[in-house]
Amino acid sequence: MRGAAQGYRAGPVVWAGIIASTCLMLFLFQKILWLVVPFVLALIIYYVLLPLKLRLVLQGVSHDAAAGLVSAGAFSLLVLTLLFGLPGLLTEAVGWQESAARYLAGGLKLLTATVNQLEGRFDMLARAHVGDELARQVADFSGHFAQKYLPGIAMTLAAWAPSLFLAPFLAFFMLRDGWRFKKFLGRAVPNAFFERTLYLLDQVDRTARLYFLGLIELTLLDTLCLAGGLWLIGVSGPLLLGLLTAVLAWVPYVGSILGCLLVVLVAATDFPGQPGLAYAAIGLFVAVRLLDDFVFMPLTIGKSLNMHPLLTVLMIFVGGAVAGVPGLMLVLPVLGVAMVFGETIGQLATDPRLRARHAHGKRLRDRLVTQDLA
Amino acid sequence: MLWFKRRHSNGKPAHRLAQASLFAGLSERELNILQGFMHERQFLPDEVVFDEGEDGQALYIVLAGQVSIRRHGATGEPIAILEAGEFFGELGLLDDWPRSAQAVASQPTELAVLFRGDFERLMDSHAQIASRIAMQLARYLGQRLREMVNKSASGAKS
Repeated sequence: MRGAAQGYRAGPVVWAGIIASTCLMLFLFQKILWLVVPFVLALIIYYVLLPLKLRLVLQGVSHDAAAGLVSAGAFSLLVLTLLFGLPGLLTEAVGWQESAARYLAGGLKLLTATVNQLEGRFDMLARAHVGDELARQVADFSGHFAQKYLPGIAMTLAAWAPSLFLAPFLAFFMLRDGWRFKKFLGRAVPNAFFERTLYLLDQVDRTARLYFLGLIELTLLDTLCLAGGLWLIGVSGPLLLGLLTAVLAWVPYVGSILGCLLVVLVAATDFPGQPGLAYAAIGLFVAVRLLDDFVFMPLTIGKSLNMHPLLTVLMIFVGGAVAGVPGLMLVLPVLGVAMVFGETIGQLATDPRLRARHAHGKRLRDRLVTQDLA
Repeated sequence: MLWFKRRHSNGKPAHRLAQASLFAGLSERELNILQGFMHERQFLPDEVVFDEGEDGQALYIVLAGQVSIRRHGATGEPIAILEAGEFFGELGLLDDWPRSAQAVASQPTELAVLFRGDFERLMDSHAQIASRIAMQLARYLGQRLREMVNKSASGAKS
């Protein structure tokens, strides 16, 4: 009588279904990105605040009141931070444009020096006037940047801001009604499949929680390592730079390249005429990325997504192809959840005993409701 | 949202759980917290709760009705008949070991279910409650072990 679920391993059909459903979800998510991004942010807030809420529940506070208190506390903290931090931030913002121009100029100087050095060594590059062409293209880009790209960026920010305000709102309802929703789903499931469904819900919750908390841990570790290295090299603002590059690394590949570029720009500006230090910053960046991929990632996010490294890399490319940058960011958590769903549905579909028990239960219910009918 | 809240709030008093020996010693406040982690299911007579050999993931407490514990293929008397307040499937709370017998409702039965994942979360968030339950469970398992030892000793004498 032992169920077929015991020792179940997903076969090629189930895996094809998992990959196809992951691609489909990414495609759909890309279409409703305005909702997906606040939802993901809300999930992160929810998993961070949940232990506080549960602590209050233990003190005898009801679930609703605990969710309200924790949300109000977090909101007050945010308001206070903005209240005290915003004036300083606005004062500094005036200098941002100047700093950005300075760092860009520093980076360009390093690039020009490197290209000139290469032209000196390789005749072929000198004959092609690579340096002149590069300078012309850079001048063209920076000359028309504000005109070409700034309105688009401003419009995107204006369109996204309201949807981002959904995140705290969603997080509050997740905190308040999440446990009710789980019971609600459980009630809808027939008795025969009940334990399996609870297991599925638990695995989805566990995967998402470990992924998002792992992402925060990973960001902290990356920030500390990069900040430490940059401080040793002597680059200015190492903590802020470390944090920015660690957050950019949430987007696989593209984020890492942008982060590296940022580090190089700052290093080249802080140490003009010393390209060695800029190269050292690049070396540090690559070393931290390797540490991240082979040590930190398996210790943090890797615990939540127990999947083959080759599949992970391939799916990152597939995610990028299907849904662009959002696809790169979302592919791993979506694949993790699709894996749990696929494997559980595979288990249920290949277990004739569970299906027979469900049919038996249904017959008993039918008999009960029809026994007084002719 | 109110319909959702009304339907799924703790309408039933938590002290229904107090009749279970497993929860002896828990205060009403603790029972209310525990109920947030539990699920309730209704079974008809002859409906299978779980099968022998199935992966165990949860512990069941009989709130009303009666449950028979049987070995697969055995047609005679069940190994045990459990009434309101008693619990079964306790090993499912501890590990992945398959169920050692089949549980079937022998009357219209109402069960409270404590899923292992929820018990683990209870240990994380409400360690005091979880440790009391674990202590009761350990006492129960110890008692069963002593009974088995006595039984095998008396079997060897005879």
